[in-house]
Amino acid sequence: MTVQVGTVYLLASLGEIYAERSGILNLGLEGIMVMGAAISFIFTLAYGHLAAILASIIVGILMSLILAVMAIYMRLNQTVTGLALTMFGLGLSGFLASPEIRRIILLALNPSLPERLLAIQEAPKLPEIPVPGLSEIPVIGCFFRQNVLVYISYMAAPLMWFILFKTKPGLSLRSVGENPAAADAMGINVFKLRCAATMISGGFAGLAGAYLFLGFQPFWQEGLTAGKGFIALSLVILSTWNPLKAILGAYLFGGVEVIQYRLQLFGLGALSPYLLAMLPYLIAIAALIAVSIESVRKRIGVPASLGIPYSREE
Amino acid sequence: MRSGKISRRAFLGVARSAAIAGVVAAGAVGALAGYLGGSSAAPPKTVTTTMTVPGVAEPLKVGYVYVGPVGDYGWSYGHDRGRRWADEHFGLPVKSFYRESVPEAEVGSAIETLIDEGAKLIFTTSFGYMDATAEYAEKYPDRYFVHISGYRSGAAGNAPENMSSAFAEFYQLYYLNGLAAGAVTETGVIGYVGAYPIPEVVRHINAFVLGANYAYKKRTGKNIKAHVNWIFKWVGPDDARKAAIALVEEKNCDVLAFTEDTPAVLQVAEEYQKKGRKVWSFSHYSDMREYGPNAHLTGQIANWGPIYLDFYRMVATNSWRSVDIWTRIGDYTPYKWRRPVEQSTAGQPEGTVYLAPLHPAIPSEWQLLIKQRYEEMKELLFEPFSVEGNLGEPIRDQDGEVMIDRDKIIVSKASGEVRSGGRADHDALWSMDWFVEYIEEPLPKL
Repeated sequence: MTVQVGTVYLLASLGEIYAERSGILNLGLEGIMVMGAAISFIFTLAYGHLAAILASIIVGILMSLILAVMAIYMRLNQTVTGLALTMFGLGLSGFLASPEIRRIILLALNPSLPERLLAIQEAPKLPEIPVPGLSEIPVIGCFFRQNVLVYISYMAAPLMWFILFKTKPGLSLRSVGENPAAADAMGINVFKLRCAATMISGGFAGLAGAYLFLGFQPFWQEGLTAGKGFIALSLVILSTWNPLKAILGAYLFGGVEVIQYRLQLFGLGALSPYLLAMLPYLIAIAALIAVSIESVRKRIGVPASLGIPYSREE
Repeated sequence: MRSGKISRRAFLGVARSAAIAGVVAAGAVGALAGYLGGSSAAPPKTVTTTMTVPGVAEPLKVGYVYVGPVGDYGWSYGHDRGRRWADEHFGLPVKSFYRESVPEAEVGSAIETLIDEGAKLIFTTSFGYMDATAEYAEKYPDRYFVHISGYRSGAAGNAPENMSSAFAEFYQLYYLNGLAAGAVTETGVIGYVGAYPIPEVVRHINAFVLGANYAYKKRTGKNIKAHVNWIFKWVGPDDARKAAIALVEEKNCDVLAFTEDTPAVLQVAEEYQKKGRKVWSFSHYSDMREYGPNAHLTGQIANWGPIYLDFYRMVATNSWRSVDIWTRIGDYTPYKWRRPVEQSTAGQPEGTVYLAPLHPAIPSEWQLLIKQRYEEMKELLFEPFSVEGNLGEPIRDQDGEVMIDRDKIIVSKASGEVRSGGRADHDALWSMDWFVEYIEEPLPKL
């Protein structure tokens, strides 16, 4: 259960780490995730799971391109454009998945759909695929009784860590985020690399949305991400922009969310229900405070140009 | 006793202010998340449907204000189904239109725009709209207003005469759900995913647990054990999922009831059924069977249409009278008499509140009892909150205090007022602030 909740945060924060490492703060994460969820809902009904996952990744990339154009090429304020993208995604996803519009889209995608699927608010969940042998082990066996997107997240995190810290493109990406002028002087195309990193974050956010819907709670609800994109954003900071540490952080957040409903059953919830509901946010705040302390900042290495548009004229 | 009369929508306001307070304290991340969570609904939009009958001139114009999107599958969706039902059954030309996702603070301007469009009759369908509705009823004495889930109306004497109030009540159906739960549970432990600990939800939980205890104790001689997990949201499918799984995994509950506006808990039960573990759940507000064909035991369904239709007719025939309607089983049915069990209509759509179809896993003798009680409640011959509903025993709260006995009741813990009569009365139901003894967790104080 912890893993199931944590995977949403892990997938979303992995991409965001790349964007922020390149100096782009993608605050549109929430909006892209909810769009990914809406698209995965519609495409699963029309064409099945695989098409739905691919479509939500593509839509995530397309949405992040909006941010890339505005923040990288037009050099607009990243906070404002990112938040605008979130609002846009929340509105558009609600529109596309609303009953009447969804029916039109579904019929356009697949005219042979039965009436039942045109009206239903859920989609088939991704099946759990137990790994033979590993899933039998006590305690850690639960890590290996998950759906395919969870396994992808297990593999993606170390792979993305390796690319970021052990390869030349990874080095270029980090240098663009630290000192874009120097990177530019060394012949790195700052704009292209930032654009690519933003698209990666969009693709992963779309995938995170698809996972949230198909892999966790397959009932469509307007704005069903309910702030999870922002928790993922704080997780990026908590993980100090390191994909491996993001695994731990994601499962910590996932665990906190799950445990509040277990504590209640042992008589602790009734003491202060709102305090329990605030736990994930309290941990996020604690992480942000820790990161804001100067000595901590220096030690963990916040990307120096994070949020600052790069312009060659300067 | 007004302070005790708090309905579900009242707590939207409380919850929002609490959420805002929490968020301010929690800082930037929380603020963004809370803000976006709260404002995620699509901007209000208008949809119009028209039905015309040739030969009749001026259609009746009816406006509705919804607090959520009509696609929520829960509260607002139910009201919109009611609107369409009333339009279809009216028989005279009617033009109805609605504003959806209207925040409670903006209901005034929504009412104004509906009046601009010519609405003669206006329904406001959230508790938080109540005071504004009364205000506009005063301002527009030539229009008619109906507020849902509140307590202000001309009939009650605390609003103008052109305002009525209405509500479709579920506690009787929750008791029948409880009978079904007690009849099928193998572990003797049942769970409830609750939205907010307010009187409406508390009486539904108590009714459910009383019913389950009745059936389980009759079967086994042991008391039922019930666990309640609160999510502090009306709509929160992923929280409902976490709470439901915790009830099954930590406490071994095998029947899960809920007050949350989506079928999420039923979906969880269905997933367990598919894995070979028997976990059951219910319909809530709408027929949710397709979200859990194997796990769907029965449930409570509302049709607001007949209530709306009644008001359409009053306005169309100039026979308005302010009323305070609180519908239960049997109300708005063509035949309100108790039927013999074999001819029971339990499980079929009728009236404004009715039982979802009964799953064959419920043993036939319990299906018969459920049907018998359903029929008896049409004539109020049986009352869940009575000694009779609890195997002849007085109903005690968690402290062991007798709340409902053969000849007297205590209206609420807060008031301590003792009244005669062996059934919970209107005030006792509307201000219920205690849990029955079979529930393990204490009732959180808000």
